[in-house]
Amino acid sequence: MNERIISRIITTIFVLISLFSMVWWLSSGVIPPIEIDIPGKDNKPASPGAGTISVTIGQYAERLEGVPSSITGSWPRFRGADFDNISKEKIALADNWEDSGPEILWSVALGEGHAAPAVMNGRVYILDYDEGLRSDVLRCLSMDDGREIWRRWYTVLIKRNHGMSRTIPAVTDKYVVSIGPLCHVMCVDAITGEFKWGIDLEKEYGTKIPLWYTAQCPLIDEGQAVIAPCGEDLMIGIDCETGTVLWRTPNTFAINMSHSSIIMMNYYGKKIYVYSGVGGMVGISADKETKGQVLFFTNAWDNSVIAPSPVPFGDGRIFVTAGYGAGSMLLNLTYSAGIFQVNPLYTHSPKQGLASEQQTPIFYQGMLYAILPKDAGALRNQFVCYNPDSEEIVWASGKDHRFGLGPFIIADNKIFILNDDGVLTVLNASLTAFEPLAQAKIMDGVDAWGPLAIAGGRMLLRDSNRLFCIDLRGENQQ
Amino acid sequence: MAEADKEKNNNLSRRDFLRYGFRAIIGLGALSVAGHTLFSSKSHDMVWQLDPDKCIQCGRCATRCVLSPSAVKCVHAFAICGYCDLCSGYFRQPPFALDTAAENRLCPTSAIKRTYVEDPYYEYTIDQSLCIGCGKCVKGCGSFGNGSLFLQVMHDRCVNCNECSIAVTCPAKAYTRVPAHSPYLLKKAAEGSG
Repeated sequence: MNERIISRIITTIFVLISLFSMVWWLSSGVIPPIEIDIPGKDNKPASPGAGTISVTIGQYAERLEGVPSSITGSWPRFRGADFDNISKEKIALADNWEDSGPEILWSVALGEGHAAPAVMNGRVYILDYDEGLRSDVLRCLSMDDGREIWRRWYTVLIKRNHGMSRTIPAVTDKYVVSIGPLCHVMCVDAITGEFKWGIDLEKEYGTKIPLWYTAQCPLIDEGQAVIAPCGEDLMIGIDCETGTVLWRTPNTFAINMSHSSIIMMNYYGKKIYVYSGVGGMVGISADKETKGQVLFFTNAWDNSVIAPSPVPFGDGRIFVTAGYGAGSMLLNLTYSAGIFQVNPLYTHSPKQGLASEQQTPIFYQGMLYAILPKDAGALRNQFVCYNPDSEEIVWASGKDHRFGLGPFIIADNKIFILNDDGVLTVLNASLTAFEPLAQAKIMDGVDAWGPLAIAGGRMLLRDSNRLFCIDLRGENQQ
Repeated sequence: MAEADKEKNNNLSRRDFLRYGFRAIIGLGALSVAGHTLFSSKSHDMVWQLDPDKCIQCGRCATRCVLSPSAVKCVHAFAICGYCDLCSGYFRQPPFALDTAAENRLCPTSAIKRTYVEDPYYEYTIDQSLCIGCGKCVKGCGSFGNGSLFLQVMHDRCVNCNECSIAVTCPAKAYTRVPAHSPYLLKKAAEGSG
């Protein structure tokens, strides 16, 4: 045998051994089988459906023993009468508290959730979820003692999904409008609780209910309930007395419902409804002659989860923010030759500027105030004052003062911040530094995220299971 | 006579020698066992663990362990999970769609399994054979969710080095020694939640 043949035989043997080894290796289970990650591997059904029972909005009512209070002052809707979350009452509030904290006037048990109250004419209105009744329950309580004056409810199955209740009713002297977690809109008489009308937005408008349910708080403007179904119609106006839909804005931009609410602003003598949905932000005319017309739209601000509502500055600038890494954007609205245009001025990541995951920032004395989200780096969960002109954090509460996802409000030039665990902190609304005045633990519960309300020098605040009314007034005011 | 007795006592018999020898061996053996037990209980009954409340998800657990893949794995405290459809520990932000396609997922090794429970709930479980301990899911869950995902040193893998190579580089100083009979640390939020 010559060398060539020997070489070929050896090569062939090595090749065969290699092939055999590879086949054995691949078939021996040493390498796990390759799985392809494609949609559908979670066994999600094509149409999960809520499995809900048929809902008859406003079906049940009951009168109870509570008596309306003579306490004046109101908080008629989400973020108050002027949509700015600032109480304009001329009542001096205490600068500091006893060791025991401010006086707790009353408290009532609630279903698990984050729904918060509106106040009008000595009555407190809250859309609760009652697990025993399996119902959205609009409860009217006395501002004096929290006793229930009346309640109206309808059966609807809501499963716990980071709590159940979410929204704040809108109330006038005559009407209360509420939106339930599964987008059931109800209008009742504010005094008697008499049912006026109801709309199932999912069934009647094809609304896609947001993840963790809707948090859109309704708006009543000149006797009309203004709602953003974000289904077939983007926005509608409903006569509160009759339930007649008076105007509608077709959803040509295919905007889906977010957790944000409609905010009203004025610019160039025009009254505008501003809504930040999933798919973009829109401005709709609120003027009588042109009500429902689209004035501007931008998809420069478009995120999959948006909880905070737009914050108009009054000079055409609108600040928008969201969680899940979205950060924030400052938009500029201009008006020329009858045409509105909106363009971004700047965008910031949560670590670069002001951002908020859940609560809407407050614009006060030229500054923005908010709690930064958990992805804001070293300033995570700190309460900050931000200058939107210089794009700088003016001051932050510091690493020893973090507030989670809690709500905050301004009254009597003081900022009140409630943290996740029910600790209320009051500070000067300072333009230069974090200046805490007092702090007290009001409640023992968790997830105290429902927005705060102030009326008659009293504050209404809640944790996941209980509503509290506390007295904030200074000594000479009580 | 007295001198004879003294001499007898000094001359150890073979039987006595063996008896004393065995006693000495047994005594030394008992001492060494006791000493070894004492010594080993001090050095080996403590193991390394990661305090989840200090962890900042820097990613070093995945790369600094002497083992490959790391002995650090993600675990899930189901009691504080929200079972959300949009899970920020499972999905990249923002996801293109809320489904199991690779382009939507945060985990680089597909170690988190998402399973539909009932509307609107989804369960997320960790396949520890695939987890490399990078902590990306933990960061996502902590940033926007309940923080139910967290990292732990798994003691079926950890070789308990005297000087843990992750601990020496951990920027949050989150590594600590814990008793071997209780080697895992729950997040504070998960304690007492069932």
